[in-house]
Amino acid sequence: MGKWFKSGSPWIWMTGGAVSISLIAVLGLLLMIAWRGLSYFWPAEVYQWELNDPDGNRYTLIGEIYDKEEVPTERLISAGHVFKEMPGETVTRYLVKTGNREFVGLDFRWILATDIISRTQPENIAVIERSKNGDFYGYPIAVVEDGKRLALDDIEASFEAHIERAVELNDKAVTLQKSEIGSINYAMEQLRLQERRYELDGQLTEARKAEIAVKQASLQADYLLLEKSFFALRTEAARDSVIIKDMRGEEVVLKLDTILDVTYSNRISLIGKVGHWFVGVGRFISDDPREANTEGGVFPAIFGTVFMVMLMAVIVTPFGVIAAIYLHEYAKKGPVTKMIRIAVINLAGVPSIVYGVFGLGFFVYMFGGTLDQLFYPEALPAPTFGSPGVLWSALTLAILTLPVVIVSTEEGLSRIPSAVRQGSLALGATKAETLWRIVIPMASPAIMTGLILAVARAAGEVAPLMLVGVVKLAPTLPIDMNFPFVHLERKFMHLGFHIYDVGFQSPNVEAARPLVYATSFLLVSVIVSLNLTAIGVRNHLREKYRSLEH
Amino acid sequence: MISIDKSTMNTNSVDLNNLSQEETALEIRNLDLKYGDKQALFDVSMKIPEKQVTAFIGPSGCGKSTLLRCINRMNDLVDNCHIGGEILLNGQNIYDKQVDVASLRRNVGMVFQRPNPFPKSIYENVVYGLRLQGVNNRRDLDDAAERSLRGAAIWDEVKDRLHDNAFGLSGGQQQRLVIARAIAIEPEVLLLDEPTSALDPISTLTIEELITDLKSKYTVVIVTHNMQQAARVSDQTAFMYMGELVEYADTNTIFTTPRKRKTEDYITGRYG
Repeated sequence: MGKWFKSGSPWIWMTGGAVSISLIAVLGLLLMIAWRGLSYFWPAEVYQWELNDPDGNRYTLIGEIYDKEEVPTERLISAGHVFKEMPGETVTRYLVKTGNREFVGLDFRWILATDIISRTQPENIAVIERSKNGDFYGYPIAVVEDGKRLALDDIEASFEAHIERAVELNDKAVTLQKSEIGSINYAMEQLRLQERRYELDGQLTEARKAEIAVKQASLQADYLLLEKSFFALRTEAARDSVIIKDMRGEEVVLKLDTILDVTYSNRISLIGKVGHWFVGVGRFISDDPREANTEGGVFPAIFGTVFMVMLMAVIVTPFGVIAAIYLHEYAKKGPVTKMIRIAVINLAGVPSIVYGVFGLGFFVYMFGGTLDQLFYPEALPAPTFGSPGVLWSALTLAILTLPVVIVSTEEGLSRIPSAVRQGSLALGATKAETLWRIVIPMASPAIMTGLILAVARAAGEVAPLMLVGVVKLAPTLPIDMNFPFVHLERKFMHLGFHIYDVGFQSPNVEAARPLVYATSFLLVSVIVSLNLTAIGVRNHLREKYRSLEH
Repeated sequence: MISIDKSTMNTNSVDLNNLSQEETALEIRNLDLKYGDKQALFDVSMKIPEKQVTAFIGPSGCGKSTLLRCINRMNDLVDNCHIGGEILLNGQNIYDKQVDVASLRRNVGMVFQRPNPFPKSIYENVVYGLRLQGVNNRRDLDDAAERSLRGAAIWDEVKDRLHDNAFGLSGGQQQRLVIARAIAIEPEVLLLDEPTSALDPISTLTIEELITDLKSKYTVVIVTHNMQQAARVSDQTAFMYMGELVEYADTNTIFTTPRKRKTEDYITGRYG
């Protein structure tokens, strides 16, 4: 036994075991959120149940099985459930997503296996995805075009064709609203601000007033025109409707302008399902959220996360590198430098919410407030930079990640052999020239390492952002087609906050749950891909300056 | 007793005691150097003749490298280093307040113990000093690169891969590249700090031949551990011991009829 200890094997087993456990933990986490998140987009089987209610009446239920659990019979009895014949120890209970939110009180409900009379899987059940009120399950009966009920043999084909038309019209309307109408609104706001600016400067002459009025009038005219065509498109999209028989057996009229897609989940083939899955994932990534974020996609959140992190990287890298160069190259080695270095390292341990509070107080209120008073007095009392925004978020996270960049840059600088520095100095280079031409390029892999760590930390940070710029729903992206194109004062959406919001602030917890997993998986993927990019750059640099390895 | 083959020894020595102003490249006057409280050089005075090879020999820690590094003020980089006395280059004290260290180092090139090429291409290594001086004309740079690489006897080996990374070269080639880099800016004096100590015997031989060639254009000062090397390449030899210049004479004299007991003990291998 003693020999075995001496041989070092237990040490190897211990270290190897630690690595394996970490690996299993990471892989398990990734697999779980990937599975839970991605299976949400797989078209589920839709069932039709015949059930007994407690009063002995029969009723029908259509929906997807969301969850399943075993409940002790005793608990059900003590909760007041009466069984006709005693079941066993436990009863299986299903959570069913029934959709049809506007007609049933609960779009998720639990059913007991003992209440089920029969379960079928009718092929012609349609799952209708809608922009409002969630999914609808039922049997399409007829298509109504312009108020006239069409007599058709192939209802399904006609239904799909009409949906396509309505979706196309809706898309046009949305594009119109977002781009053209959006720009006009933006231009009108700019005009109003310009007028206010003249007024504040005391330069609002009659001529200028008239000029602005003319511009406003022309914009207003454009606006009315666009608004007209916008409403025309909307009306046109709402022209048709469909009659669906729902699970209560009633015929329901659904307007086509709220319908996005229809699938017959019980009928489509495996390839069809795969296609459906890809379309679902694609929409999730590229669409705007709907229904208080519980439906639709997360594109603005992805965009916001990536944009904010990149902005942060652009701010923190030069700042951290310069600070590290001063500390390592120029500062005299003494107690003061030592203190500063310890302080920098300790900054990394400050809880992130503290940075959020600091960012709100310093950047948003003090700095942003001053900026507003100096440069945007015309917009006051509405704040421009004096309210949380993407710039302040990036700055706050830059401070948060600064220690990481400083420490790894310093480490990189100290690893550069003094022989190389001396070689440069001996050729008549000054210290600054040596730094620029030799030292910083050679330290660039270490700088990249710092940046990688900074990005990883910043992309996962949520708490401080809630104070300095993240919102549940941002109407516009920080980048758009209106001059000056990049709007750093705007609020933005963030995947991390989206997870919190969807998971814990949503009115419909069951509907939101898979989205939480899907969004988590997406957040992890975004961080991993940002990191992989940075690692790729670093490896390239390392290869270039591989003398350090000797 | 080390056997020294006299036929390989240099014989074109000058009279060190009566060196005229024109013949003197460097004059060291009463140089003292302290690292903090520890004195490393004691009152060193010597004249180094122009366009000759002068070797500093002595046991480890005797101050020969320190002395060499004083000549291009590399010791400025060391904290707590205090220097007294003067070093005259062309009659100008290099420790004078008005002297610009960077331009001094352009006049006094240096090659270190281990080859230290920059992580750049061979070409960019050679023209580094010129780029620092603001030379960016492609023709000038190309000419200087070829001239320096030929001067360092490495042109034929690298002319086809000038734009490859310098780390692809062998140790001996890297050292010659570093010499080419140093002579590209045409210094007056070239300081070599044990340039062959990290190299294999064949590379050492090539570098030694190169040193003999270099003295036609440059004043060469070399620090070496290897006494045969000093005997082979140098015209003058200075023997240092414990921070003091013990004996300084032409190489022949030092290796055949040293006047001081310590010198004799060292070159006969009794210590060191």
